[in-house]
Amino acid sequence: MSEAYIGLLVLWPLAAGLACLVLTSPGARSALVLLTGIALAVGGLAVAANAPFAAPSALLGSETALHIAEGAAFVLPAYFLLRGLMAKHWLVIVFSLGQLALAAYGAVAMPHAALVQNAAVCDGLSLALVLVVCFVGSLIAIFALPYMKHHEEHLHLAVSKQPGFFLIMLAFLGFMNGLALANDIRVFEAFFEATTLCSFLLIGHDKTEIATKNALRALWMNCLGGIFLHAGILLTQQAHGLVDIHEIVNPAVWAGASMLPVALLLLAGCVKAAQMPFQSWLLGAMVAPTPVSALLHSSTMVKVGVFMCLRLAPVLPGTATGVVLATAGAFTFFAASALALGQSNAKKILAYSTVANLGLIIACAGMATPAAIAAGVVLLVIHAATKALLFLCVGDMEQIVGSRDLEDLRGAVAKAPTTALAAAAGALAMILPPLGMLMGKWAAIEAALTNPILLLLMALGSALAVVCWVRFAGTLLAGRSVDKTAHSHILTSGPILSLLFGAIGLGMAAPWINALLLPGASALAGGWGLIPTLFVVGMLGWIVGMKVLSRQSAAKLAGPYIGGLPSAEPGTFVGALGKNWVLSEGNEYAEELFGEPKLTKVAGVLAGALLLALVGGAII
Amino acid sequence: MNLTTFYLAVAGLILAPLVGGLVAGVDRVVTARLQSRVGPPLLQPFYDAGKLWSKVIPPTNQWQGMFVRWALLASLASDVLLAAGADVLMCFFVQAASACFIAVGAFCGASPYSKIGAQRELFQLLCYEPVFLVAILAMCKAAGGFDAFAIMAAKGQPLLFKLPLLIPGLLFVVLVKLRKSPFDISASHHMHQEVVRGVYTDFAGRDFALIEIAHWADVTVVLWICSFLWATGPLQMVVAGLVFLFAALIIDNISARLTWRYMVKVVAPVSLLLATANLLWLYLE
Repeated sequence: MSEAYIGLLVLWPLAAGLACLVLTSPGARSALVLLTGIALAVGGLAVAANAPFAAPSALLGSETALHIAEGAAFVLPAYFLLRGLMAKHWLVIVFSLGQLALAAYGAVAMPHAALVQNAAVCDGLSLALVLVVCFVGSLIAIFALPYMKHHEEHLHLAVSKQPGFFLIMLAFLGFMNGLALANDIRVFEAFFEATTLCSFLLIGHDKTEIATKNALRALWMNCLGGIFLHAGILLTQQAHGLVDIHEIVNPAVWAGASMLPVALLLLAGCVKAAQMPFQSWLLGAMVAPTPVSALLHSSTMVKVGVFMCLRLAPVLPGTATGVVLATAGAFTFFAASALALGQSNAKKILAYSTVANLGLIIACAGMATPAAIAAGVVLLVIHAATKALLFLCVGDMEQIVGSRDLEDLRGAVAKAPTTALAAAAGALAMILPPLGMLMGKWAAIEAALTNPILLLLMALGSALAVVCWVRFAGTLLAGRSVDKTAHSHILTSGPILSLLFGAIGLGMAAPWINALLLPGASALAGGWGLIPTLFVVGMLGWIVGMKVLSRQSAAKLAGPYIGGLPSAEPGTFVGALGKNWVLSEGNEYAEELFGEPKLTKVAGVLAGALLLALVGGAII
Repeated sequence: MNLTTFYLAVAGLILAPLVGGLVAGVDRVVTARLQSRVGPPLLQPFYDAGKLWSKVIPPTNQWQGMFVRWALLASLASDVLLAAGADVLMCFFVQAASACFIAVGAFCGASPYSKIGAQRELFQLLCYEPVFLVAILAMCKAAGGFDAFAIMAAKGQPLLFKLPLLIPGLLFVVLVKLRKSPFDISASHHMHQEVVRGVYTDFAGRDFALIEIAHWADVTVVLWICSFLWATGPLQMVVAGLVFLFAALIIDNISARLTWRYMVKVVAPVSLLLATANLLWLYLE
């Protein structure tokens, strides 16, 4: 029974994507994407209804599936090598050759491990990822329909590249579902490499010089991550003869054994999750069309990395590897939050914030207590909804305003009211209680009480994020009139509003999500019990706020206090020396403190040292 | 939640802003005496708020009233959380939400002074939040629990003896939250200064009265958390809170305002370093 759902989740998107390639009319494409959204929603809910389960699966663990997976271990790096050779990019060439060498070594020198008994396993973590992919991923794909139409009109393309684009977008979702459910680590690896391929193709989609450059950067970094993954898998096989992921994460396996394979797998996760010093591939990804950034940042690609770390977390309690991983994650949370504060480019703010929040999730994985892991999963789910919302909003505002700089988006609420308000709400949802991101952060900080360094880094990162998001929301709202005639496409506002309500709803549900992940825990224990009360307060605030808003919207507004006589022209005033002064505004980005060039270097070196310690500590 | 918790919560909701208002009154009387003036009556802040409430002044932006009310709700909620003995960390986050709403409201304003004030408010937030958070975490660690009652009911010697290095940090937080010199950077107390009234410039009339009440509630929360350092009994806590208040008033009267850059680069790192050092040594015991 579960096989049918797994087929729906993994193969349907791929099939629908291929159909997009054949049926090139926009109507057919829209129908296919919407159908995929429905299919994924049905499949995701069906899996949720049956979870947790561990079942044999022909799709994810038969002899044929394994052959395909082993073939992919050669074919995908070979394709990367080809692209590296075409672009004469020596890092891509070296690392894809490394991947090929490891694949060849595995095929020749390793004994053929038996098939995994239960090839499809769905626990709380897998389910969280599947639901994120099915719901958030589908909404992003739907948003992409009007967005890409507008995008291509803007570029004046002779032949539409949308069929290929949607093939990759939809296939990406299928691969993600496969990755979440696969229990054979070789099949997992095939899906892992497939996501590298998809992200490479999507980042380079626009084929501009910068897009190609950034796509190749993403490729070499993720090829390096692939080497870590493959080396970790081979070492695990060599030392313990295991390919079953749920057997690998049994702490008893690693008692007294070298943690090097685990450290390598974690490192692969850190690269995929764009942890410092590997954050640059994710930042480069923002040159791609917005739906791509939204997909990479929220529901796919980077979530693979944190998924791996959370998956491996059960073997980390009490190990030095766990402590180093938690420190590295918390450091990235702090450093990337600081970098976000110095940016005026809205997409860069979102990108650094993604890196930071993934760092927080990885810190949770490193702390590895049940409460910390649960907090990590809660953050994973709610971050996906909130960040997808923010990316879609910024993308939509960028198409309306024509710039992605926060200074140009000042007062965007006047031009794009729905989107700008949703963006402001999303920004505040990143930091305010009782919404989910803050609750996850709160749970992470309470879990970190065993380690003062983590506490300090989290306290700093948290304050930096608050400043960054309040400024973001405030800048968007810094306008007076609201253009009531502005209407956005239903496929634009639909996904945005769905994600907004989803993010808030998930925040309300956070105590129960947390309790589902902690067997035997009561949902409203400790501080989690405050959430319903705080939501009641929030609703009271909503009612009062809306009443005042409607009253003040109808009132005649006062002019600004400008310390001078208002001039006839708006935005100017008569000030000192009787001169006519023009008002201009701008945010303080404090670049001398949070400027990118210097801070990236310093933080990159420190974070790199921590990741080296992760592997080095395991060797010693 | 039992009935006692409910009564305590209601008491917190009503009394906390009143205590904050009294603190503002004491502040004005003491400051006046320090400057050899007679000063206003103790209840003057309440009369002021009443007068502000009676004024109907058009807002400069339609969003402001909403954010002001949200800020007031968050401030009151943080008091209620403490009174009901809830998680102190959560109380901290709820209180921070109030500051965020004020800043967003100021961003929405039309006046450039309001916007400069909002920027400065955020840099203040950046400076005091980590210090306050580390200080609260150190208290929780020393008391062995996150809920307010666990800290207030800690038997034996006061937390101060374990946490002496928190004092500079907490004093910094009190100065910022009470908007006292040298850290009245975002809402300069004296309106002839270069940013007029900073983050408060664009709020007037009823909205401003509500901000005042929210501010009183904030002051109560901050002093209350500071008083955890000597929480051997209710009276001792009141005295501890008053000590912090008077220290802040004296510093206010003898110092000139600092720039936000100095605060970010010097004051915040030093007080954070001290608080962190204290936190670290709790782990060495």
